[in-house]
Amino acid sequence: MSVLWRNDPGYPVLLAAIADPPARLFVRGVLPVGPTVAVVGSRQGTPYGQRAAHQLAEDLSNQGIIVVSGLARGIDRAAHEGALTGPTPTVAVLASGLDPIYPPEHVELADRIAVTGALLSEAEDGSLPLPARFPVRNRIISGLSLGVIIVEAAERSGALITARLALEQGREVFCVPGSIENPLTLGPHSLVKDGATLVRTVEDVLAELPEAVRAYARAHARAPAPARADSGPQEPELAAVWELLDWVEPRHHDELAEQLRLDVIEVSRRLTLLEMGNYIIGDRGAVTRSRRRLDK
Amino acid sequence: MQAHTLSGTVFGLEGMRVEVEADIGQGLPGFHIVGLVDRAVQEARERVKIAINNSGQEFPGQKVTVNLAPAQVRKEGTGFDLAIAAAILSCTVHRPLPKGAAWLGELALDGSVRPIRGILAISAHLDRSGANIFYVPPANVAEARLATSRPVHAVPDLRRLVRYWVDGEPLPDTVLEAGDPSPALTAVDLADVRGHAHAKRALEIAAAGSHHLLFVGPPGSGKTLLARALPGIMPSLEERAALEVTTIASILGGLAPGSGLITEPPFRAPHHSISTAGLIGGGDNTPQPGELSRAHNGVLFLDEINELRRDALEALRQPIEDGRLVVARRHGHAVLPSRFILVAAANPCPCGRYGDQKKPCTCTPPQRQRYQARLSGPIRDRIDLQVSVLRQPAAELLHHADGAESSATVRERVMDARARQRKRRPDGPLNGALTGTQLRRDVHLDAAGQDLLTAAGDRLHLSGRALHRLLRVARTIADLEGAADVAAAHLAEAVQYRESG
Ligand SMILES: [Zn+2]
Repeated sequence: MSVLWRNDPGYPVLLAAIADPPARLFVRGVLPVGPTVAVVGSRQGTPYGQRAAHQLAEDLSNQGIIVVSGLARGIDRAAHEGALTGPTPTVAVLASGLDPIYPPEHVELADRIAVTGALLSEAEDGSLPLPARFPVRNRIISGLSLGVIIVEAAERSGALITARLALEQGREVFCVPGSIENPLTLGPHSLVKDGATLVRTVEDVLAELPEAVRAYARAHARAPAPARADSGPQEPELAAVWELLDWVEPRHHDELAEQLRLDVIEVSRRLTLLEMGNYIIGDRGAVTRSRRRLDK
Repeated sequence: MQAHTLSGTVFGLEGMRVEVEADIGQGLPGFHIVGLVDRAVQEARERVKIAINNSGQEFPGQKVTVNLAPAQVRKEGTGFDLAIAAAILSCTVHRPLPKGAAWLGELALDGSVRPIRGILAISAHLDRSGANIFYVPPANVAEARLATSRPVHAVPDLRRLVRYWVDGEPLPDTVLEAGDPSPALTAVDLADVRGHAHAKRALEIAAAGSHHLLFVGPPGSGKTLLARALPGIMPSLEERAALEVTTIASILGGLAPGSGLITEPPFRAPHHSISTAGLIGGGDNTPQPGELSRAHNGVLFLDEINELRRDALEALRQPIEDGRLVVARRHGHAVLPSRFILVAAANPCPCGRYGDQKKPCTCTPPQRQRYQARLSGPIRDRIDLQVSVLRQPAAELLHHADGAESSATVRERVMDARARQRKRRPDGPLNGALTGTQLRRDVHLDAAGQDLLTAAGDRLHLSGRALHRLLRVARTIADLEGAADVAAAHLAEAVQYRESG
């Protein structure tokens, strides 16, 4: 572990530019240098929210963008995991001290982050993640970043505080849309109403960043973004099933059999063929459309 | 004067032969029972003495010694009373006991003979080990006749026993009622379960191949109802299985007098708070079968299996791997049969809402992980079928279950599928217990099937064990269809019952 003082040459330039930069940061690992975007959201993120955070973070990492998040459960964890899937380091900013790690079940994740990236905290070792520390920590997350992506956040939540701080610091705010039936989309949808950028793909994020960053991303892009799986299979029997599916909300075998007026055995057989073709994702009797045609 | 005869007791679920020797001789008057006996047997002295005195006979005023052999085995209970009294009475009335006779029963103080538990297991064992005539309590006659084809006589009380010996008056005939062939089934008919087509199909596969099954779904989604439909689509018990189930019921004292063999698979549904002792059985000397044995040849339904105590879950392991339980007792190991179909049910998470897009789950990820992880490792490995069960939408209740098959129809298919398995492996396990080696012999995939298996393994990241589960289920699906070999279509269906990824 090392200590980074505000006047040290390695101190992040973006962070130094905010109104109240931390005088001193504890660092575990090596603080990576490069364009940085934060991905944050609720600890109670839904499976959809976690998938979205994971995918965006992975796509950013694949374009050389450093993903910053808060090592919390739910969306934060998904963001770190997604970033680690790509080649670019990720950074976790903690509200507690760097030792012990909070929450305790993220010790192993923290270890993996520190191998290539860094864990940061303004608090000394042994400091507890007290409620008062969260807004203080959140200004560092937004302060380190060119922009902040909000994925699922209740109204009056920590993630929304981060968004407000980002606006005060002159950083971009991005929001991932979701179902209007999901209470955790009230936060991001309100921000979109107030002018935040709606994110459909990682390109929507890059488009709002300076041209120099876009050029950097193009230069670092490891793999072209895979094609969207927005079309179904050719075989009419399989297409009939696929058309009833949704990208987000799982459908159950029973519903499909009833809607198709098919024997549930036949539905099961077709679903397996769709899974083998990567058109859908199955999960113990419930299926959703696959969002990406993976390795086809 | 000496007399020598046979009796018996239960150890585990097995009967055990006990020889009873009475000696009436010189010495200080007294009554002693020797041969590693427990308190209930010691108390036989009082019961036998008073019962004889209340039956118009006189208990001998000499030194009476009764020895129960073999001496190294601990003897428990009240079932030796009749044998002890018969041995003493044969000395006092000077009538030799019939050779090879076995005496089983407890004495009341008025001399009447009361039923005992486990007559079925004891009689079966004595029949094999040389007994050729049985004297039992009237209430146990039917049960004893299930176990032996040799003469079985009812002894209502000691008075009539003496009249039989001395005056040649025959023992009364017990009216043998044919008996209800099986207890009334409280099973649910599949035709009465609306919707749930996928889960019903999983039940059919479970019944046909004897596969363990897991239902995952929110509270109130009908998991219990579905589980209760399983016994009704299982074949009736074959003779040997019926005898095993009836023996267990007999040891528990759960057989009504005059009842016949239990021929329908049992259904046991202990609460998740059950103790390990409740599952595997209690009693330090004579094991009393627990739920794992009472479900033998039937269904064990464990609702909210993730809430089971860790040691109780651990106790499930041996039965679902071996179909039996080896229980260490103070006086040796008892082997209890416990081969059943496990139907486990679980909520998706502690709050029950995980995966519901509209109502976010309120559990933390570690809570969810801990909850799921409780059912891990060896037990999960043995559960071939996993199915999500949806809460039925209100509209579904109005939707008439048109075309829903009755349990009787499904049971026909299940019986055919069982017959095919028996033909392939007359003495071997059903598909649900096939090992990797056995699977290689019983499943021959064509090129299309092999391609699908490879693709499933790669795409779904299936482990070797998961592939075995897939093949076992596919084998049963093929048997249900009457297909000689497993085709790609059978595998394709089987993939949909795998555990969540
Ligand atoms: Zn929950």
